[in-house]
Amino acid sequence: MTLAMLPFILAFLLLVVGLYAIVAKRNLIKIIVGILVLDYAANLLLVLMGYRTPPAGGAPVAPILTGGAHEADALAATAVDPIPQALVLTSIVIGLSVTALVVALAIRLYEKYGTFDTNLMRNLKG
Amino acid sequence: MQGMSLIVKTVTRLVAGFIVLFGAYIVLYGHLTPGGGFTGGVILAGGLALVVLAFGEDYARNVLTHSWARVGDTMGALLFLLVAVLGFVGGVFFTNFLPVGAVGRLVSAGTIPVSNLAIGIKVGAGLFGVFVALAVFRRTAAGGQEPGQSIEPDA
Repeated sequence: MTLAMLPFILAFLLLVVGLYAIVAKRNLIKIIVGILVLDYAANLLLVLMGYRTPPAGGAPVAPILTGGAHEADALAATAVDPIPQALVLTSIVIGLSVTALVVALAIRLYEKYGTFDTNLMRNLKG
Repeated sequence: MQGMSLIVKTVTRLVAGFIVLFGAYIVLYGHLTPGGGFTGGVILAGGLALVVLAFGEDYARNVLTHSWARVGDTMGALLFLLVAVLGFVGGVFFTNFLPVGAVGRLVSAGTIPVSNLAIGIKVGAGLFGVFVALAVFRRTAAGGQEPGQSIEPDA
């Protein structure tokens, strides 16, 4: 448990918070917020895996090419890994689509039962 | 869902074109700058949702209808499938058959800009269709109905 593992531990803590909200909460909106937090914690963990320090020493930079095509090799030596960031971009939009689906389900459940309490939804006969 | 005040409508008329243009820029320059099909499609859907919110649901029934969202959705998917099947020209499914130009030019990187365009159209139309289905469709009354009745689109 060195200090370098602290970002990973905090991202895992965020994942646990989201999971707790899904499992232990009764209100449907709080469960939806738990689903969102779980999704963002997974995306954050993926971006953190792409961090690397340059082998020549010094601080790593963002993988954005600002000097033109002839500086590509110099950038590749000091930049962090750009592939996890590109994949997490699509994952964030997928999280948006999952949010839209879950919110549509919540709207429909509210119209059918008149409440957001999941304990009551087991007792009412609709 | 009614439209908003005159100030919002006037500003939306001025700004909505620029939002769609910005979304198209993010989609087309996806192989050079951060972005690509997914984020550009989200910006496009946001611009269209702004127009529907500002002008009311009559605009969403007559001009930017749900059928246009469906057409855009399927056209994006078919274009992506066309890019993959045309890879047979190069010999293998989904291989690159366009010339790979110099690094940093706009016309470069093979079939990646075409894939970005297909995904941008599909994500924009799909998310706009989700927004229209959630906000514009008229829903039947809650409580005291059979389980068979469900969300229905208007006439």
